[in-house]
Order: sequence, then structure tokens, then C-alpha cells
Amino acid sequence: MALGEISFKVVFMSTYIRIVLQIIIIYMFSLLGTLFVQTLHIKFPGSIVGLLLLLITLHLKITPVSLIRDGAGFLLGVLPLFFIPATVGVMKYPELLSVHGLLLILSVIISTILTIGISGRICQYLENKESSKGAV
Amino acid sequence: MLAISMIVGTVLIYYLMTKLNARFSTPLLFPVLTTTILIVLLLTSFSISYDTYMDGAKWIDAMLGPAVVSLAYPLYTQRGIIKKYKFSIISSVVVAMFTGIVSIVILAKLLNIDDEIVRSLLSKSITTPVAMQISESIGGFPALTAVFVIVAGLTGVLVGPLVFKLCRIEKSVSRGISMGSASHGFGISKLSEYGEQALSMGSVSMTLSAVIGAFICPLFALFFI
Repeated sequence: MALGEISFKVVFMSTYIRIVLQIIIIYMFSLLGTLFVQTLHIKFPGSIVGLLLLLITLHLKITPVSLIRDGAGFLLGVLPLFFIPATVGVMKYPELLSVHGLLLILSVIISTILTIGISGRICQYLENKESSKGAV
Repeated sequence: MLAISMIVGTVLIYYLMTKLNARFSTPLLFPVLTTTILIVLLLTSFSISYDTYMDGAKWIDAMLGPAVVSLAYPLYTQRGIIKKYKFSIISSVVVAMFTGIVSIVILAKLLNIDDEIVRSLLSKSITTPVAMQISESIGGFPALTAVFVIVAGLTGVLVGPLVFKLCRIEKSVSRGISMGSASHGFGISKLSEYGEQALSMGSVSMTLSAVIGAFICPLFALFFI
């Protein structure tokens, strides 16, 4: 019983440590991406460079999936938490509650509806074509 | 000390809001929305400035980069389905990106919006962390972009199903792609109601549109604004 409890604790701790270590590895990719963008002075988000780097190394089997799986899963699971500090920044723009601000928000709504409708229709058309081609 | 309480407070409020959302599942209780409103109300009522808040919250913000990098993982595990529908997926995501950018620029020009705000609008259909970085790199206001991204996301959650009905978008791949590339993570959370395939297509298109948008938005800003 006591032994079982101890081994449970060990397993629990090792999962915890593994997640932390994997996050550090993922952080390295992010850092590498940021450094890349900064040294070359390109207007491009460094995190996307990091994403592409990780994707390429996964594909070439340089980075084994098991090395990042738990860390990535954890980060993606709590992803919304990470953009709270940014969204709280809205308090710096009280003018969004003016008529002009509300019209701007309405524009975003209209544009989003157009985007869903048009891309959905086109995708459905292409998907039908692509899957019928695959069936032949 | 104040900085640490900002971190703990943010995490705690977020945790409580996800619990609340799990209890009564409605898009209006979307945790990002409720947490943001609550924190803004708390900060203003205690007259704490955003900069003071960020002294602590910047540590949470610092995790955005690694979180974006993590998106490589679902993209990698879903490479099979991406290969199968690669032409439909890539063209639809590109179409969605252009529809979103062109329509918002036209609407903004009609409203006589300042260029800096237009730059903040370009990446509105992209997932928050990337959208903000794009906005910053092309000279917009990242915090303002975050607001537009949330509005685009909520529109997908609240109006998306109606658009599907009106435009007769019935295939799960198309639903996933259009929602993921117009309303990013928020839209994806809605897609679970349409099944596994719609959901995974949503996360694929969200990630792809972040990557594609990172190329298109700066080019568009360079030539047209």
C-alpha cells in the first residue's frame, strides 16, 4: 500500500518534470525563431519560424515526437490563458465604445461572416472535386 | 509582490471561468471573454494601470511564443488528412485570408479609419498570439488587434452555424476549414459539435492560416496601406 503510494508519487513527479523539460525544449525553438527574425531584421513573427523549424525537424525525425508531445499538449490545453494579458490591453482603448469604434467592430463581424461563407463554399466545391478524383 | 499577485490572480480567474463555462456551456461565457472583462473591471475599480498589471502578467504573455510553436504538433500528427485534401485545404485557407483582408480594408476605408488601425485589423482572422505579432511587425497596435481577433472569433461561434445553414456548407471538412481560417481557436471550440473531422480540419486551417497570414499580411501592408 505504502509502496504503491510512493511509486504513484514517483510517476506523478516524473510526468510533471517531463512536461516542464519538454516546455523548455519548445521554448528553445521559439527563442531560435525570434533570434532568426531579429538577426535578419525581417517583419515576420518569430514564433512561426519556431513552429516551422519544429515541424521540419519532426518531419525529418531529428526531433522525436515523444520529446515534445506532453509539453505541447499541456501548452495547447491552456492556450487561452496565455492571451489574457494581451486582451486585457483593451482597457487602453476606451474609444472602442464610441460610435466609430462600434462601427469598426461591426465591420469585423461582417468581414468574418463573408470569410466563413465564401471560403466554406469554395472548399466544399474543391472537396467534392478532389474526393471524386480520388475515387476514380 | 504586486507582480506575483497579478500572475496568480490571472491564473485563478481564468481557472474559475473555465469551470463556469464547463458548467453552463454557452458561447457568451467563453473563458477568454469573461476573464478579460473581470480583470479589466477589477483593475479599473482598484485604479491599477495596464502597465502595472503587465509587470506581472508579462510572464504569462511570454508563454505565447512556445504555445504557438506547439501548434506544430497537431499539424504533424494530422499530416495524413492534410495530404489527402491538400489542394482544397491550402486554396480555401488562402481564399479565406484574402476575403478577410480585402473585405475589412474596404469596410475600414469606407469608415475613414486611420492607417495604423487598418494595420491592426489585417490579422484579425488569425489566432491571437500570431495576430498580435503580425500586427506589431507591420506597425499596428497589438492590443487592439487582440480585440478584433476576439470579435472575429465570437462571430464564428455565434453566427457561424447560421452561415453554414444559409450557404449550405454541409461537409465537415469545409465547415472545419472555413471556421478555422475565419475564427481561429474560438471557432474550433464550436466545431466539436460537428464531429472529429471538422474539429481536426479546424485546427489544421487555423495553424495554416497563421503561417500563410504571416507572409501575406506584411506584403499586403507594404503595397496597399
